[in-house]
Parts: sequence; C-alpha cells; structure tokens
Amino acid sequence: MKTLVFSIALSTLFFAACNNGTTNNESTKEPSSAANNQKAPAAPGSPTEELVNDYLQLKDALAKDNDKDAAAAGNKMVKAFNNFDKTSLTPEQAKVYNDIEEDAKEHAEHIGANAGNIEHQREHFETLSEEIYELVKSAGAGQKLYYTHCPMYNNNKGANWLSGTKEIQNPYLGQAMSTCGTVKEELN
Amino acid sequence: MSRIKIILLVVLLVFILIQFIRPVRDENGQASPDQIGKVYAVPENVNAVLRASCYDCHSNNTDYPWYAEIQPAGWWLASHIRRGKSELNFDRFGEYSKRRQDSKLKSIANSIEDGTMPLPSYAFIHTDAKLSKKNKMLIKNWIKATRDSLSKKK
Repeated sequence: MKTLVFSIALSTLFFAACNNGTTNNESTKEPSSAANNQKAPAAPGSPTEELVNDYLQLKDALAKDNDKDAAAAGNKMVKAFNNFDKTSLTPEQAKVYNDIEEDAKEHAEHIGANAGNIEHQREHFETLSEEIYELVKSAGAGQKLYYTHCPMYNNNKGANWLSGTKEIQNPYLGQAMSTCGTVKEELN
Repeated sequence: MSRIKIILLVVLLVFILIQFIRPVRDENGQASPDQIGKVYAVPENVNAVLRASCYDCHSNNTDYPWYAEIQPAGWWLASHIRRGKSELNFDRFGEYSKRRQDSKLKSIANSIEDGTMPLPSYAFIHTDAKLSKKNKMLIKNWIKATRDSLSKKK
C-alpha cells in the first residue's frame, strides 16, 4: 500500500519536472526570435516613433471595441518605454519625458493587464493620451497627428486623444458612437 | 491502515508543516514621512474611512484578522497585501511623482465608483470596511477637491 502511494507521488513529481523542463525551453526560445523580428523595421526616425505607433495601435483597438488587441498594444507600449532612447532628446524634451514616463508606463501596464475590462482600459487611456500629447508636443512624433476631442465621454466631461488621421474613430465610445469628436489641433 | 486513514494522516502532516512557513507581517508601527497626510490635507473623517476600508492592503500597517495565523490563509492574505501595496500605498504616497499621485487619486475614485474596491470578497468578511453611500460621497468629494488643488498648482 505504502509503496504504491510513494511510487505515485514520485512519478507525478517526475512528470511535473519533465513538463517544467520542456516549457522552459520553449519560453527561452521565444524572446530571441521576437527580438529578431523587432530589429528589422527599426528605421532611424523620431525617438518617439515606436511609442507613437504603439499608442495609435492602442487607439485603433479601443475604437474597434477590441480589448484584447488593446491589451497587446498596451504591453508593447510598456516595452517601448523600457527601450526608450533618451540620449537623442534635448534637455528640454528629456524633462517632459521624465515627467510623464513613470505614470504613462503604469497606465500602459494597466491597459495590458485588463483585457476583458475595456471601460477600465479607457480610463487609463484618457490620462495616457494627455501624457503622450505633451510628449509629442515637445519631442515631435515623426508624423502628422491630430489632437481630437470627444465631448461626451465620462458623463459629458469629455476627453482627448491623438489620431494619425483626420477621420474620427472614437476610442472612448467605440463602435456605438464611432464618429463622435472634433479635431482640436494639428501637430506636425 | 486503510487508504483513507493514510491520506488523512498525510494531509494533517502537511497542514502542520506549513504552519511553520509564515509570511513577514505588514506592520511597521511608525508614521511614515511619505504618508498621504503629509502631502495633502486629509480631514479626520476621511482619514478614518480610508483606515477602515483601505489601509489593510494599501498601507504599511495591516490590522490582521485571527485567521492570518493559520496557513495557507495567511499566505493568501500576504499575497493580497503585496499586490495591493504595489498598486497603491498610502504610507508612500509622497514618493510618487505629482502625475502619479493624480492618477492614483483618479483610480481610487473610479474603483470606489465602480465598486471594485474595497474588494467585494474583503468587504464581505470585514463588514466595517464596506463603504456606505455617504462615505463613498465623502471620499469622492475629498478626491475631487484634492485633484482640483493639484491642477491649480501646475
């Protein structure tokens, strides 16, 4: 009886150990290939380019009511903050960046962690948008951006976002009110 | 011995053994120099509500229930407290950048409004932590006033 119990315990331990081993191998392989993929499109441009691109992806996902894509874009943004190259900024621009970095990264993290709760993602997106606006206003975006206002979000308190196109695709109200909003400012 | 007896004995043994693995308690006892009351005006009634409803998981001083002494309940509490403090720690509020303080205040108001905080499972056991409508308004008004004063300073 006892030997049976022990042999079952041992064999489960053994299998568990095996399983761990294989999953570890797989997970160590993944990052290297991902890193290779990322290197390819890194063309020289504005230092904020990666952040802005990820932000616009996040905005598009929210406009389409897609919480999963929004979370993925949020996680990409966290990486973009971690890899951000501050050396190419002027002291003035670096000051703006340092001011927003910690908070903006936290908003991106929360968006990444909240697939399934799109309203919560939008709450974080609201402040994140203000911070990215301040950053691109100071350091440029490497592309034309439209600073757009939605008067209806949050019980008519209103909120802003940045878009790469003049055409309105509202990330706060999603498909329900997709064309609600007006361009407040064009950033070159 | 029958199989059931052996299994019960093993379970009991494991239960006794895990009692010796005790998480570090979240009890500082001292007033922190970075606590929220040093950076913003926190009226006494607001402070009392925050202490009753939030401080168990969002400060350096948890008021532990008796079952924290029993594992694995103590581990479960410790993991909640660790997560809670990493999101928001009222005793370290002054260490956050101004922007983060503002974001934290906004998140507090939102989570109270949405009813995600205090955690429903926590409020179920700690009935004194449950926020009444009046106390919800009290906290939200205090946050609004504090955030307004923040945006004026900018």
